[in-house]
Amino acid sequence: MTLKGPNGVEAEPARSLWLIALVLGLIGLVVVLLTAPAEQLLGGSAEAIRGALHGTAAGLFMVTATIGVFQGYRLFVGQARSVAELQVGSVVNATLAFFTILLGNWLYIPYRASGGPRSYFLEHAPDIHKIFFEFKEFAALFTLPLAVAAAFILVSYGVSAVRRKDLSTLVAILLALVFFYFLVAFGLGAAVTKLKSV
Amino acid sequence: MSPSAEARPSGSACAAVLAAALGVVALALAHVLSEIAVSVKDAMQALGNVWMPGAAGIGPYSGKETVALLVWLISWAVLHVIWNRRELSVGRVGTIALVLIGIATTLTWPPITELFVHH
Repeated sequence: MTLKGPNGVEAEPARSLWLIALVLGLIGLVVVLLTAPAEQLLGGSAEAIRGALHGTAAGLFMVTATIGVFQGYRLFVGQARSVAELQVGSVVNATLAFFTILLGNWLYIPYRASGGPRSYFLEHAPDIHKIFFEFKEFAALFTLPLAVAAAFILVSYGVSAVRRKDLSTLVAILLALVFFYFLVAFGLGAAVTKLKSV
Repeated sequence: MSPSAEARPSGSACAAVLAAALGVVALALAHVLSEIAVSVKDAMQALGNVWMPGAAGIGPYSGKETVALLVWLISWAVLHVIWNRRELSVGRVGTIALVLIGIATTLTWPPITELFVHH
């Protein structure tokens, strides 16, 4: 098992990689903003921005939660490659859990508003709201404390969290749970949005 | 990695995971109690209104989130202070946390929540 600290040999290439990724991201963003028909992409709803931001956060969280469950697996089988990689990944994961929930709260307001999707579902298909949506809204909240606990253990214990089997197993389980509850919330949220968006 | 982190006892990790589990159980109980009693639902709305922007639009869910947040963070702080310097069984605390998370998941599954509601 190779464990490299944040100040080790890998630090300089990693910094260059982050810079390249940032520049490429900025170029992509500028090109999209200048050329894409963003209004059509977002849709005509007055709440389109809320939906787009929540969806973007959830999409990014899907990436980090998936990376997290893979890192958790490697941790569990004793093949973790870098403590710094685990620490950064888990902190980003927890941060995205927070922003996805925050933006979900913001989007929940038009969902519950008179004439919104909630009213529509309760009138036409009450089980969609009562089962799909209500379970999704709680499953989504589960991700934050679990992701924060995983990040806290990895950051505060560092190499110990990798070397100690009990701690590495605990973190692996936490990351797997984050992925599971994220998947429930994301899947049900996407289904609800498909049926009736805000 | 500092030597202090290398030799750190498991107490603070146990505190973090148990507090997370207590937070989600608090969320589930707040939800079930809100479904049982209208007074609790009103209290959840009032609690959310105290601090959360847009709580009126979010409804009682804002108060349930508040309860979960308070229980999670306060229990984490208390458990951290108590357990920080202690070596605990991670397996035992982790198992308790998993059971609590399982209970919370079950209680928030709407067909189960419905069982507690008086019709």
